[in-house]
Amino acid sequence: MTDSRPPAPMRNEFPLLARNPGLIYLDNAATTQKPACVLDAEREFYETANANVHRASHRLAVAATGAFESARATVAHFLNATTPNEVVFTRGTTEAINLVARSWGQASLRPGDEIVLTELEHHANIVPWQFVAQATCATIRAARIARDGTLDMEHFHSLLSPRTRLVGCTLASNAIGTMPPIAEIVAAAHAHGARVLVDAAQAVAHQPVDVQALGADFCVFSGHKVYGPTGIGALWAREDILQAMPPWQGGGEMIDRVSFAGSTFAPAPARFEAGTPPIAQAVGLAAALEWLIQQDRAALLAHENALRIRLENGLKHMPGVQIVGPNTDKAPLTALRFAHAHPFDVAQFLDNHDIAVRVGQHCAQPLLQALGESSLLRVSFAAYNTEDEIDRFLAALEETLELLA
Amino acid sequence: MNTPLSIPEIEERLHSCAGWEAKSRMLVQLSRELPAYPETDRTEENRVSGCESQVWLKLGWNNGALELATDSDSRIIKGLLALVYAAYRGRSPEAVRDFDFDGWLAGMGLTRLLTASRSNGLKAIVTHIRSSASEI
Repeated sequence: MTDSRPPAPMRNEFPLLARNPGLIYLDNAATTQKPACVLDAEREFYETANANVHRASHRLAVAATGAFESARATVAHFLNATTPNEVVFTRGTTEAINLVARSWGQASLRPGDEIVLTELEHHANIVPWQFVAQATCATIRAARIARDGTLDMEHFHSLLSPRTRLVGCTLASNAIGTMPPIAEIVAAAHAHGARVLVDAAQAVAHQPVDVQALGADFCVFSGHKVYGPTGIGALWAREDILQAMPPWQGGGEMIDRVSFAGSTFAPAPARFEAGTPPIAQAVGLAAALEWLIQQDRAALLAHENALRIRLENGLKHMPGVQIVGPNTDKAPLTALRFAHAHPFDVAQFLDNHDIAVRVGQHCAQPLLQALGESSLLRVSFAAYNTEDEIDRFLAALEETLELLA
Repeated sequence: MNTPLSIPEIEERLHSCAGWEAKSRMLVQLSRELPAYPETDRTEENRVSGCESQVWLKLGWNNGALELATDSDSRIIKGLLALVYAAYRGRSPEAVRDFDFDGWLAGMGLTRLLTASRSNGLKAIVTHIRSSASEI
């Protein structure tokens, strides 16, 4: 067994975990807990630099604008973007995909064009495309998964054609953890002249995401899944593509000149940030990313994977428990089905043991339908989880399944 | 004498449970006492949408009294449905409208499950039963 203990004081860096020493939080794919430095950064911003951004020229406004733009630069650095101008702040992954679908999609898609998605996608990478497909008479095609929950690459390739205008694909399935071969997907999409949107929501907390190495055209993520605040996320888009996209929401900040005869718009990224943005949240996100950059990320990922393997090995001999999804090339999470118990009931009894997990369809109904499942229990890991927590989870699960048998 | 799945009998049994573990076990026990749901009524029309489990509900009125059959693939939800059954079956439309289901559950210390009920379909079921009583 590899030593998979995280740096000892890590749990204490997270005030919620420090206040609840008995809590075993294994719902990290839904949202992670926040380290103190993130909470401190938001408070510090409000206490020392709070003003609206990009408007006034008084000193506080200059400080606020500086903090906000510095946060953008941190996101750009985190993603290895070529310039901060490629980063648009959004409320999260969902809003970022809606932005691309509405702005780029409405402007680019024509009747008969095709959008290729995969059965692994979260609803957030399906429904916005349905809206734009309906508006433009484009068609959505979905690449199938194989029985083991990996992407059926043969089927994926067969869907690509000169009609394909966009490929939307997750870096890691939020429900079962599958990590599709993204380099192959991007290369194949580009070979057919299609743009590629990569949903990095489930990947950013665990592995470095380098947009230049990925070679995609759009990449989106949420702050709250990477130890940052809720209400903030980002769209990265290649600069030439972003500058050519029309605005999608109107208001202050995104304009150049306004008259009742018409308006002209600011260049990107301001063009896509109508209204007062979530300034303190952007500062908090930057603090989270800086915190993560300072960690030994390879060691954290090894730790999280070791926890997953410890869990999956422990489950192997437990009767009536089946792991759903692949066992390699996956994010640090494990999806489970039970032969004799409903996941909801199992989760309720685990909650009595102060263990937090998620059950249901995980906003991925097409995936669960493809798998023939109506509900799964998901155990998802973060850097602060420990081997001891996994052992206590296994003991509580065994007791629960006996009780529900 | 208390009939099975009556309001006073359920109150007595849940009040005797100290803590969530005991209450959860009692709900699993109550789920076994709910009358079997007719297979012919397991239709899309009778399915209540809720993310975490599947729930079925069939309502009817017979001589001014509510008849209901209900089921779930989750035993804890089915236990909660046994409470719905005890609270509403055989009642008049007036009695259905007047019964404070949320208050009843809160009185038995089940507020936590009530909070979760938006996702488990229980809230939708109680709303549906109450609106059916208002329409009759």
